[in-house]
Amino acid sequence: MAAAAAPGPRAPGGDGGGSSSASSSLSMERIQSLTDLSDLEAAYGRLCEEEKVVQGELDALLEQQSTIENKMVALHRMGPNLQLIEGDAQQLAGMITFTCNLAENVSSKVRQLDLAKNRLYQAIQRADDILDLKFCMDGVQTALRNEDYEQAAAHIHRYLSLDKSVIELSRQGKEGGIIDANLKLLQEAEQRLKTIVTEKFDMAMKQGDLPQVERFFKIFPLLGLHEEGLSKFSEYLCKQVASKAEENLLLVMGTDMSDRRAAVIFADTLTLLFEGIARIVETHQPIVETYYGPGRLYTLIKHLQVECDRQVEKVVDNFIKQRDYHRQFQQVQNSMMRSSSAEKIEPRELDPILTEVTLMNARSELYLRFIKRRIISDFEVGDSMASEEVKQEHQKYLDKLLNNCLLSRTMQELIGYYITMEEYFMRETVNKAVAMDSYEKGQLTSSMVDDVFYIVKKCIGRALSSSSIDCLCAMINHSTTELESDFREVLYNKLKQGFPATTFQDFQRGVTSAVSIMHSSLQQGKFDTKGIESTDEAKQSFLVTLNNVEVCSENIMTLKKTLESDCTKLLSQGFGGEQAQAKIDSCLSDMAAVSNKFRDLLQEGLNELNSTAIKPQVKPWINLFLSVSHNIEEEEFSDYEANDPWVQQFIVNLEQQMTEFKVGLSPVIYDTLTGLMTSLIAIELEKVLLKSTFSRLGGLQFDKELRSLIAYLTTVTTWTIRDKFARLSQMATILNLERVTEILDYWGPNSGPLTWRLTPAEVRQVLALRIDFRSEDIKRLRL
Amino acid sequence: MSMEDYDFLFKIVLIGNAGVGKTCLVRRFTQGLFPPGQGATIGVDFMIKTVEINGEKVKLQIWDTAGQERFRSITQSYYRSANALILTYDITCEESFRCLPEWLREIEQYASNKVITVLVGNKIDLADKREVSQQRAAEFSEAQDMYYLETSAKESDNVEKLFLDLACRLISEARQNTLVNNVASPLPGEGKSISYLTCCNFN
Repeated sequence: MAAAAAPGPRAPGGDGGGSSSASSSLSMERIQSLTDLSDLEAAYGRLCEEEKVVQGELDALLEQQSTIENKMVALHRMGPNLQLIEGDAQQLAGMITFTCNLAENVSSKVRQLDLAKNRLYQAIQRADDILDLKFCMDGVQTALRNEDYEQAAAHIHRYLSLDKSVIELSRQGKEGGIIDANLKLLQEAEQRLKTIVTEKFDMAMKQGDLPQVERFFKIFPLLGLHEEGLSKFSEYLCKQVASKAEENLLLVMGTDMSDRRAAVIFADTLTLLFEGIARIVETHQPIVETYYGPGRLYTLIKHLQVECDRQVEKVVDNFIKQRDYHRQFQQVQNSMMRSSSAEKIEPRELDPILTEVTLMNARSELYLRFIKRRIISDFEVGDSMASEEVKQEHQKYLDKLLNNCLLSRTMQELIGYYITMEEYFMRETVNKAVAMDSYEKGQLTSSMVDDVFYIVKKCIGRALSSSSIDCLCAMINHSTTELESDFREVLYNKLKQGFPATTFQDFQRGVTSAVSIMHSSLQQGKFDTKGIESTDEAKQSFLVTLNNVEVCSENIMTLKKTLESDCTKLLSQGFGGEQAQAKIDSCLSDMAAVSNKFRDLLQEGLNELNSTAIKPQVKPWINLFLSVSHNIEEEEFSDYEANDPWVQQFIVNLEQQMTEFKVGLSPVIYDTLTGLMTSLIAIELEKVLLKSTFSRLGGLQFDKELRSLIAYLTTVTTWTIRDKFARLSQMATILNLERVTEILDYWGPNSGPLTWRLTPAEVRQVLALRIDFRSEDIKRLRL
Repeated sequence: MSMEDYDFLFKIVLIGNAGVGKTCLVRRFTQGLFPPGQGATIGVDFMIKTVEINGEKVKLQIWDTAGQERFRSITQSYYRSANALILTYDITCEESFRCLPEWLREIEQYASNKVITVLVGNKIDLADKREVSQQRAAEFSEAQDMYYLETSAKESDNVEKLFLDLACRLISEARQNTLVNNVASPLPGEGKSISYLTCCNFN
């Protein structure tokens, strides 16, 4: 690098001495100080090499010389051209500046032109407006003279839609005076037209002249009197509603009680009222929309609702009076307070009025849904461009109208009373069904289960027919309470009386059951326990109750499913708020939970049956096993074969005992019971087995007995019983071994598919039952 | 249903006179809102909020009821399945406090005897209009053996505490119940005679 940068003109090599220190690695002093020949030779060699390198670099530099000279020549030639270019560039810059100024000038002129054009247009517009104004002034006068109110109103409308500043401007003009006068005339005409239209409308309304009413109704919005027009028109419509409603109410009051619709006459009257209003809305909505624009239907309906409320109040007042609604409610309330009153109201008497109230509410809901939908869709059209706030505002108006109208409040009140009365109806009717409970031979269940569910279904169904979700949910809740507390209590008390045993316990049980019967009848008063039944009857009653409990549990699930689909139908028609589905789901899941409570009760009853009826019988039968020796020789073994000592009789006994239950219980319950019984047998048999001793043949005998027993039990139950008898089967295997050590063929790594249910200790215990096995051998086993 | 992601599910029902702020308390807790100009509740309303307490997911099903008399028969039907009732009054409204005994009678009549009742005095943000002193309410709640708390749905005072404390108490109550239940139930297959008295009336 240092060599390449060395200045070119300096002669190469010539004065290497003086400046060589920069390019040579050996200084002069160092060379001079060298004395040794080999050192000198080395220094010489290095200097020669350095010289070679320097020579090469110099050659390269010299080679470049001609190129550089050529370039210099070219540069010299370009000199004059550059001067030319500079001149041209200056000229160009001047031209651009000039053009730019010119363009700016032009565009500002264009802008001015544009402004002028706009002003011109405005001027033309104003002139037009002023002309229009004049035209309106003249037109109104003529139209009014000709009683052409539509034309007059059209002129006024044109005048009202003119820019107010135009009018101001025209008054400032040269002809200000004339215009002022004309304007005054126009304003007078406007006032006159307003008065005329109002008067004419009132007159038409008085005469009931619908075409005229509609004619002037259409003029109001032209005069900017939207609210007034709607309010006047609704006044007219309300009058129609009122007169029709009055007519209907008179008809109702005169209705013969034998009339087919007499029981729902007030619901019918409300229906007529609502249908009338709906028809009015339907008929007049197009006019309102066309002449008043969208979003105005709310105002019209708001006015109509006032009249609707007034008429509803009348109908409901009459309903309450004629049907004695409040007194009946009072009576129900009193009956509910005092549980055993002589003046209990007969639930059947409430039936028609309950139906009528739900029908009234259903009609109201239908009507309210109708106006809600109409108003929403009308607002939607009007608010398509509106801000979110306006939309919410409108939604608020609507909610307020629907929630606060007297119709809603009145119906809520009626439904409030209804729920209490329906609850009473349900409870009393259920009590009656329980009291009148009867059982027919050959049936599994007694009458009250079907009756009770019929009643509950009817009451919830009626609540559902009101179309009110809250009413429905309340009745679902009440039904849940009724089933879970009251009705479950009835069945529970029946089960509490127990299943009478047939052995010596009879006496004991008879006493306790008599006490419990007396106790429960004292507590319950209302339930007839039919005194102390005979043992057979008591047995049957217990079994029937078990069946009843099971059917209840199932019926509740069926009821829940039915209600679910019914509710889906109702909701799909648009009834109920946003939370409706969630509310119903929650209430129904509470109801479904009751089904499990009945299942639990069934399980308790079955356990009771198992421990009081089956166990006391089965246990002695199994204990008989102890009296049959299993420490036997060949002779006894073949004797057993001929005369079975135990198992056949045991099976016969079981068969006999279970027949009673098989006939009296539903298949599902019977199956559960046999399941309980097999578990019991397995446990008890294990106990006696461990108390016996066995010879080799005794073990074989036991194995045969166990096989017979399992074979029998398999035929009576659908449960797999192998599992329950797994321990016993394994014990039988052990008792059948030839030698103690043979167990190792089946144990641990040799167990194969067999899973041992016995612990090593138990295996030893069972091995020890074999009298021919030595305890040392057993102890020595490594399990 | 059982696969849903929670450890406990409790039903809480708010009751009390109209206009004491039941809906606002529920909205504040479930949505963090205080809607001004809240209209009267129609019938019953229903909100759900799942909270975590000591690592356990607790789903609170909160029923907001209408205070107006005409909805009473609807609201009453929800008492029985409620795990807890929040009886609310307005500290600036003597009348709403004076009605409390009437509400307690309703609870007595319709609710389960295991229900937990909490007394809540709402609207403490309007301190200058207070008509019911804290002491009076505290004495009353003590006499009735109720947990008592003052809240402001508007300022969000004590609202969270109200529901979370309640959830804690419900959890410990539920734990005790399952304990009692386990002791009372007979061992399967043991054919133990059944004492019916311990098995009834569990919800």
